[in-house]
Amino acid sequence: MKKLMIGALAVAAGLMTSVSAQAADPLTLQLKWVTQAQFAGYYVAKEKGFYEEEGLDVTIKPGGPDIAPEQVIAGGGADVITTWMPAALASREKGVPLVNIAQPYKKSGMMLTCRKDTGIKSPDDFKGKTLGVWFYGNEYPFLAWMAKLGLSTEGGPNGVTVLKQGFNVDPLIQKQADCISTMTYNEFGQVLDAGIPESELIVFKYEDQGVATLEDGLYVMEDKLKDPAFVDKMAKFVRASMKGWAYARDNTEEAAKIVLDNDETGAQTEAHQKFMMGEVNKLTEGTSGALAEADYKRTVQTLLAAGGEAPVITKEPTGAWTHTVTDAAGLK
Amino acid sequence: MSSRGHLQPWLAFLGLFAAVALPLDAADPARLLSREGAAGWSIILLLALATYAAVKAERSAVTAILLAVAAHAGAWYALEILPSVAGHTGPGFWALLFTSWLLAWRLVSQLAAIKPRGGLGGFLLKLVVPLIFGIWVLIFWEVIVVAFQVPRVLIPPPSAVWAKLTSSIPILAADFRQTFLKAVIAGYAIGCGAGFLVAILVDRIPFLQRGLLPVGNLVSALPIIGIAPIMVMWFGFDWPSKAAVVVVATFFPMLVNTVTGLAASQPMQRDLMRTYAASYWQSLFKLRLPEALPFIFNALKINSTLALIAAIVAEFFGTPIVGMGFRISTEVGRMNIDMVWAEIAVAALAGSVFYGVIALIERASTFWHPSFRT
Repeated sequence: MKKLMIGALAVAAGLMTSVSAQAADPLTLQLKWVTQAQFAGYYVAKEKGFYEEEGLDVTIKPGGPDIAPEQVIAGGGADVITTWMPAALASREKGVPLVNIAQPYKKSGMMLTCRKDTGIKSPDDFKGKTLGVWFYGNEYPFLAWMAKLGLSTEGGPNGVTVLKQGFNVDPLIQKQADCISTMTYNEFGQVLDAGIPESELIVFKYEDQGVATLEDGLYVMEDKLKDPAFVDKMAKFVRASMKGWAYARDNTEEAAKIVLDNDETGAQTEAHQKFMMGEVNKLTEGTSGALAEADYKRTVQTLLAAGGEAPVITKEPTGAWTHTVTDAAGLK
Repeated sequence: MSSRGHLQPWLAFLGLFAAVALPLDAADPARLLSREGAAGWSIILLLALATYAAVKAERSAVTAILLAVAAHAGAWYALEILPSVAGHTGPGFWALLFTSWLLAWRLVSQLAAIKPRGGLGGFLLKLVVPLIFGIWVLIFWEVIVVAFQVPRVLIPPPSAVWAKLTSSIPILAADFRQTFLKAVIAGYAIGCGAGFLVAILVDRIPFLQRGLLPVGNLVSALPIIGIAPIMVMWFGFDWPSKAAVVVVATFFPMLVNTVTGLAASQPMQRDLMRTYAASYWQSLFKLRLPEALPFIFNALKINSTLALIAAIVAEFFGTPIVGMGFRISTEVGRMNIDMVWAEIAVAALAGSVFYGVIALIERASTFWHPSFRT
C-alpha cells in the first residue's frame, strides 16, 4: 500500500511538472461576426501553431447578428474582442472602458453600392433616395458621412430615407433600396454572385469619401492593462496574430481553406472565402499591427463631425488606445 | 396565525436594532443612522413605531397606515443615501432596507388577509397589494444594481430607465405609432377576422374541415423569424410586412378556438333549434355563436399579446428607422440599454392595456357565462 501511494505520488508529481512546463495560457477572443476570412489571421495563427509557440491556448468565439462583442467583454465572456472603432468609442463613452491594443486592419472595407439605373453618379445625388444601412453599432460611419454631406436621415425630398438592412443584399436586387451597405470583401461579392454585373453598379468607398473609420481592431478592458502579466499575454497574442495575418497574405488559398475548416456552421463556400481572403488581404496590408495615430485621429474627427440628433460620441475620447502591447510585442 | 407571522415583526425588531447600531457606510464607520440629523431620527422613530405595532399584531387601519408610511419612508431614505454609499454599503444600510422590507411584507400579508369586498374599496385593495409588491421589486433592483456597481450595459437601475423613458417620449411615441397603431392593430384585425371567417367556412362545408384544418395547423407551426424576412421581400420594409407577420401569427389561434367553440353547444339545444325549423344561419347566430363567444374571446386575448410579440420580432428583419423592434435591436448595439428597457416597459404596458380592453369587452358581452357569476 505504502509503495503504491509513493508510486502514485511520484506519477502525480511527474504529471504536475510536465503540465506546468507546457501549461498554455488560456485566452478567449470574441469575434465581431461569423467565422469567415475577415478573421483569417486568428484562425491561421491557431491552426499553424503560432499561438502555441507563444505558449497560448486561444479560444476563438465566432460572433453573429445578435452578438455585440462590447457586451460580451463587459460581461466577462472574453479577454479580447475584435470590433470597429466607432462602436468601441461609443461603448467607452457609455461606461465600458475599451482600449485599442492593436490594429491589424489598415483600411476600411466599407462602401455603399448603388445601381446605376437610379441615376446616382456622386454623393450629391443621394437626396431623396433610399439607402440600406446596417445598424447594431455598424451605423456610425454612415451617420458620420451623411452629417458631412449635410443630409438628414429622416427622409423627405432633401434628406435620405434610411432602411435598416438585414445582413443580405436582397433590398438592392429587389430594388427596394437604391443603394445598400456592402463590405468590399463580403456583400459586394454577394451582389455580383446574384447576377448584377459590375458595369451596372456604382460604388462609394468610405476610404475615398474621407469618412473611413477604423475597423476590426483588437480591444481589451482598460483596468486589465494595469497588470503586467496581462500585457505580456496580450503582446504574445498580438505578435502571433500578426504572424497569422502575414501568412494569410502570402497564402491566400490555404488561409481560405483554414477558415472553411473552422466554420462549424458549414454556411461558407470555398469560392466566396477565397474572394473574401483576397479582398481582406488588401485591407490588412501596410500595418505592423500598431495603431497609427493619424488613422485614429481621422476616425475620431469623422465621428465628432457626425453630431446630429444622436451623436456617436459627444467628446474627444481619452486613453482609448495604447501602444503598450504592440511595443511589448516588438511591433513598430 | 402561522409561526412566520410571529417571526416577521421580531426580525424587523432585530433589523431595526442593527440599522441603528451599525454603520451605513463601510468606508466610514462613524456614519450611523442616528447621526444623520432630523431625517435619520424621524426614520428611526417611524420604524420603531411600526415595528411595535407589528409586534403587538394588531389588525387595524392605524397599524396598516403606520406600516405603509414607515416601510416606504425607510426605503425612500435608503434610496436617498444610496448614491453616497454605492460600492461600499455598510451593514446598517442593509439592515435599514431589510427592516423596511419586512414591514412592507407584514403590511401586504395584513392587506391580503382582508376578506374581499365589492365596490371601490375592494377594487383599491385588489390594486394596492400587487402595487406594493411591484414597488419593492423595483426598490431591490435599484439597490442591488447601484450598491454592487453592476455595469450599466448589463442592467441599468430602474431610475435610469425612468429618466430615459421620460426624456424620450417623442421617440417612444413614434415607435409606438409605427409598431402598435399601424402594424399590430391592422394585422390583429385581419388575422382574427380571417381566422373567424375561415372557421365559419369550415363549419359550413365539411370537406374543408378535413382539408383546410391540417393546413391551418401547418401555418401555426411557421416560425416568425423564418417568415419575417420573406414578408419584407413581399411587402417592403414598412409596416405592411410586419402586419403580415402578425396576420400569420394570429390566424391559427382564432381558427382553432372558433371551430371548437362552434361545437360547444349541447345536442339538446341544437335539437330544439331544429324543432323550431331554424335555418343554419339562424341557429348559428342565435345559439352557436353566443355559445362560442368564450372560446372566441379566449383567442382574442391570446392574440392580443401574440400580435405585439410578432410585430416586434418581425421588426428585427429590415425596417425603416422607426418602430419598437427597430429601437430595441439598434439600441442594444449602441449600448443604450436603458433605452431598450424603456421600450420594453412601453411594450409591456401596451400589451397589458390591450389585453385588459379585450377582457373588459368579454365581460360585457358574456355576462351570462358561469365564470362571471359572483
